Amino acid sequence: MTHEHYQSIAALDVLGVASGGDAAALRLHLTACIPCRRARDEYARVTTMFALALDPVDPPPGMRDRVRSCINMPSRRLNIWGPTSGATAATAATLLVAFLGWRALTEHDAGQRAQIESLQTQNAQLAQRADKLASELSALASAGTRTIALSGQEVAPAASARVFLEPERRRALVFFYDLPPNDGNKSYQLWIIRADQPKPVSAGVFDVTAAGTASLSVENLPVATEIKALAVTLEPKGGVDQPTNTRFYVAGNADM
Amino acid sequence: MDTTAPAAVLLPAVAEGNISAFEQLYDRYSSTVYALLLRILSNADDAQEVLQETFVKAWTSAKMFDAVRGSEVAWLISIARSRGIDRIRSRKIRLEREDEAGRDISIRGSLVETTTGADSAIQSEERTAVRGALAELPGPQRIALELAYFEGLSQSEIAARLNEPLGTIKTRMQLGMKKLRERLQAYQ
Repeated sequence: MTHEHYQSIAALDVLGVASGGDAAALRLHLTACIPCRRARDEYARVTTMFALALDPVDPPPGMRDRVRSCINMPSRRLNIWGPTSGATAATAATLLVAFLGWRALTEHDAGQRAQIESLQTQNAQLAQRADKLASELSALASAGTRTIALSGQEVAPAASARVFLEPERRRALVFFYDLPPNDGNKSYQLWIIRADQPKPVSAGVFDVTAAGTASLSVENLPVATEIKALAVTLEPKGGVDQPTNTRFYVAGNADM
Repeated sequence: MDTTAPAAVLLPAVAEGNISAFEQLYDRYSSTVYALLLRILSNADDAQEVLQETFVKAWTSAKMFDAVRGSEVAWLISIARSRGIDRIRSRKIRLEREDEAGRDISIRGSLVETTTGADSAIQSEERTAVRGALAELPGPQRIALELAYFEGLSQSEIAARLNEPLGTIKTRMQLGMKKLRERLQAYQ
């Protein structure tokens, strides 16, 4: 493939319309080709011109204060590390308490042996959870991790979600915010809409906390380029094979 | 609104947490970004939500801005366009699903407020040049590019919309982009 060919792909890539294979080949080429990288940046600036050609429109007067107030608040959505680190700290603290408890119990009589065993089991479970959290943190920090934003839909306009997708390991962590708490006989279900299949595929079932938050770990995902979009519906408890309704709570395009 | 300060002077300060710089950034570019979002979303409520998201993103990610790759306004436009197109696509998914279920589709009003005379960070000379370059493109090339940029359509979706072969659309878009790049190099 010539530089001219790569630059033709770049012209389409900046518009988001290059094919997956072409875009991947271009990205690889750009890592080593400065002229083509420059051409791609120039094409990106060309796309900016479409916006700059529009007549500016002043936003409503209240918008400035609205935006200003948002940046004054600690952003829960953007600070994914805070809650996760908190969870890790909580896990560590719980492990410590469990360990001290185990020591105390060993000093008692044999009748408390069952309790000791129970705590040992909890210890093992907490250790597993700590390992899992460490693995998830590692995934979030990975250079190859892609982020997909899901936005609230008509039934829950304030809701949102953020998907951290590890294409190489075909797994994802999803954090949900501001979803309405689900009734006991209902579960939220995450769906993957694939480019190569007409029907959505379930990616997991979850419940939200009273605060409207939840997280979901998804394994064995389709190849990233086959993921067209993700969406969440409310379904009967435990989930279903196919969505029973079209009321999406959050949804977003994967745009791979 | 200050339109005279040199480019790329605000985001480094925003990255340091300078709220005054952030306010200047908003004052300088919000009308440009809002115009784009109205064009993409055709809905003032959605445009305002995405405008807010765009500037919050700018606040939290200002350190990611690389002046070598483009201007501040280009960076903001890129964020806004990406989020605007995401919003369109999520709308589309919902509509497709509702279509499949044979339900009525209700979306919020699509009245676009168009005002003129709003302040702008862009020199009128540059805007005139940009419009001139776009006007010089053959209509079919310009339409294909606008469908991709403003509506986020893929090549095959554009081909279907315009009832043209996919190869024709691809060639039109590449030619159009090449012409625009050559024509606008003086203003980059």
